Amino acid sequence: MIRAYLAFLLLRGTARVAWRLIKVAALAALIVAVAPVSVVAAGAVLAAWWCGWPPRRLYAAAAWCLPMVAVWLAAAAASGQRPYRAWLETWRLAAGGHAAVAAVTVAPAAIPLGLLAGGLAWAVRIYRMETGAGGLSPSSAISFGRRQWRRQARSARARIAAPGAVPLTSRNGDVVVGGTIRAVRHPARPVMALPYERLRSHQVVIGTTGTGKTTLLLRLWAGFLATALTRQAAGTGRRPLLVILDCKGGADSRRIADRARRVLRDAGARATAIWPDDARLSLWDLPPARLVTTLLDLIEHGHGAAAYYTDVMEAIVALAVQAPPGPPADAAGFLARLDTDWLTAAYAAGDADALAVLRSGARLIPDVALRFRTLWRRLGTGFEPAGGFGDADAWYCILEGTAETAVAEAQARGLVDLLAAYVTGPGHGADVLLAVDEFSAVSRRLPIWALYERARSLGLAVQVSAQSWQGLAAGEDERYRIAATAEGGIWLLRTPHPDPVAGLAGSRRYVDSSRRLTGPAWSEEGTSQVRQMPVVDPDLVRGLGTGQAAYVHQGGVTYVQVKRLTAAPAALAPAGLAPRAPAPRAAVPGPRAAADAQAGLGTFLDEAFGHPGD
Amino acid sequence: MTVRERPGGPVNASPRLADRDIDGMLFTAEMYGVQLDLLDAVLGSTVPRARAAATRWRRLGYAEAGRLGPGASWIWLTRAGLAACGLRYAAIPPALSRLAHIRAVTTVRLALAATPAYREAGAFWRSERRLRARGRPGLREHVPDGEVHWPDGAPVPWAGECWAIEAELTRKTLTRTTVIMRELLTRTGDYGSAGGVVPGRAARHARALYVCSPAARPTVLRAREALGPLAARLEVRALPSQAAMAP
Repeated sequence: MIRAYLAFLLLRGTARVAWRLIKVAALAALIVAVAPVSVVAAGAVLAAWWCGWPPRRLYAAAAWCLPMVAVWLAAAAASGQRPYRAWLETWRLAAGGHAAVAAVTVAPAAIPLGLLAGGLAWAVRIYRMETGAGGLSPSSAISFGRRQWRRQARSARARIAAPGAVPLTSRNGDVVVGGTIRAVRHPARPVMALPYERLRSHQVVIGTTGTGKTTLLLRLWAGFLATALTRQAAGTGRRPLLVILDCKGGADSRRIADRARRVLRDAGARATAIWPDDARLSLWDLPPARLVTTLLDLIEHGHGAAAYYTDVMEAIVALAVQAPPGPPADAAGFLARLDTDWLTAAYAAGDADALAVLRSGARLIPDVALRFRTLWRRLGTGFEPAGGFGDADAWYCILEGTAETAVAEAQARGLVDLLAAYVTGPGHGADVLLAVDEFSAVSRRLPIWALYERARSLGLAVQVSAQSWQGLAAGEDERYRIAATAEGGIWLLRTPHPDPVAGLAGSRRYVDSSRRLTGPAWSEEGTSQVRQMPVVDPDLVRGLGTGQAAYVHQGGVTYVQVKRLTAAPAALAPAGLAPRAPAPRAAVPGPRAAADAQAGLGTFLDEAFGHPGD
Repeated sequence: MTVRERPGGPVNASPRLADRDIDGMLFTAEMYGVQLDLLDAVLGSTVPRARAAATRWRRLGYAEAGRLGPGASWIWLTRAGLAACGLRYAAIPPALSRLAHIRAVTTVRLALAATPAYREAGAFWRSERRLRARGRPGLREHVPDGEVHWPDGAPVPWAGECWAIEAELTRKTLTRTTVIMRELLTRTGDYGSAGGVVPGRAARHARALYVCSPAARPTVLRAREALGPLAARLEVRALPSQAAMAP
């Protein structure tokens, strides 16, 4: 009995081995029989493995070969030959020592078929590794994933390094961001392009210092302006207006502002104003009623018993602004009006109500004047005449949120009020992108969600950027509110805490296979089950390199290597960037604005040395 | 190896030089020397005429010529030629180590001079040789490869400005390049004066123009990025195609 059982086991084992050998032999015979296809397939898989390409790229390459196949078939039909004879002819030529001729003969059929077969084989390989069903050891899938990421990143870097490979905008008007490293639930295109409409929606950008956040933002801003100006020139869009609120301040902000000015001018911006260093935004052009509100917003108010003082201040400011001679022309004029004698004389003509208010609040007028005088001394001349958002295509506003928080908060209130007045004012017709960086530094009196909601109501697109999730807003509810309403997508650069955004991106289903180890090798037994995994891998985001970003949108993510924009110095405008819009009133005076006026210098140097980009 | 075409010394007692000859000799003196394939552009004539002019200068003892390196022969002024031009420079042939650089600077000057704006404005090129001649011996300071002075009232928006010109062929260190750029853009005093920075004076160079080879360009661009706000006054362009030494 035992002997019979052992014989059965031996027979079964022999049969299994024989079956496997037959399968291997059949496969080998097939590979040899279609050797040209096999060679192309092997080459395609090797290239995809080395470059980290997705299988789709091989399929696309195969599809691009179809015209060649069609021509080949047509030629064969015209000459009366049957296409399958090419295969036989190939072997005959190869046997005769004419390898090159043989390769050319069979190439029209072998290349697309080989690419297709290679794509399928590569897809099977990826699927098996992702599901844990492939590899020699349990850690093979992890190693495979890391290697593929490195290769994909390397390929993306090489792709954007090629001259002209990554223009600022694509032919259909999308904003090209950089080379795609990997895409999950997004189309895996070699170059990532963002539809213009996304930039007209709210976006969030999170990345720590040194991760390439500024590079990404500059590219998005330049892309927004370039696309919008092109649309405007084609008569299909409105004038663009880019307003950047840099709430950190200091020398670093000024360096970025200078770079932004150069980049934006190369993108077609006629003028980029840097506030308050070079340009001004006059608060005094606001309608009187709105001016009163804005002036009061600039001053910090108390609560409780101090509300009385606030009311009195409002009454006095309203009297000063709405006095019979008309609204004040500048800060000096306004401060001069905060005087009992001046106000009494102005309203002496017979406004009894105003005189009654004046009598009640006369005691506090010196206090109010003192507060505004102090505020204006600290604010400087940024809100003085003359200047408005219509003077430039882009405004880079530097708020000293780090060094002078109280001043920066007042500036933020004033700028937002001015922008709101601009977009709701007569004659406004601009696509506005409001980009705020580290707004939490100045959001004590203007919560960012209020800015967000206000911008939404005004039809502005808001782009909020911060160095961390916590930097987005003061409270967790606010942060989630901002991130959850970012219809234009969320950009994640390297950050230690990407988990909230990863959670918002959602999860996807995948097959998790477990296999049994029999000694050092896998057995053929195992189980598979469907599990959920996050679309955005937080560990991958934590390890992103400089210039790499994850773009999260509609439950998918695209990892991208951002292409850095380089630009000519600000004072020298390159030729060919003539203003595409009618020039508005004169730009705000300032040393840098005056330098911008010398645009002909760029033309002169182009004439002497050619354009820098040539 | 220098090949003397003819021994120095005037052979004609009454030399007759046209205005074009004088301009060419002044140019040659200011640039240390000129290669013959660029001399036609300097003189605004054809190549044979330029060669004829060079021969004429040599016969007069005002210039010497020789094949100093790759490409066409060089021509430079002798002591007699410099004296005839009223210049007190040392009468030496262009240094072999600087041939490529001198040629590059020459092409930059010619490219600027070829533009209508330059001619109409009557701009003036102040050469490195002239700037160095003002310096005191032993004074260690960086001297640009040239200065372009735009006269006041010239029909260009940058009238009255002085530009520093730098031709960069090889890649320096980033730190060194940044230091030079900063020095050029913050300098207020003239060369040869006691110090580069004179308190209370405006910057001497309203702009700096870097004309670079492809090899030097990345470093120059990175150095410009490191300048901060000063970068707005610095322009970077590519060297003209003739700047390369012919094989």
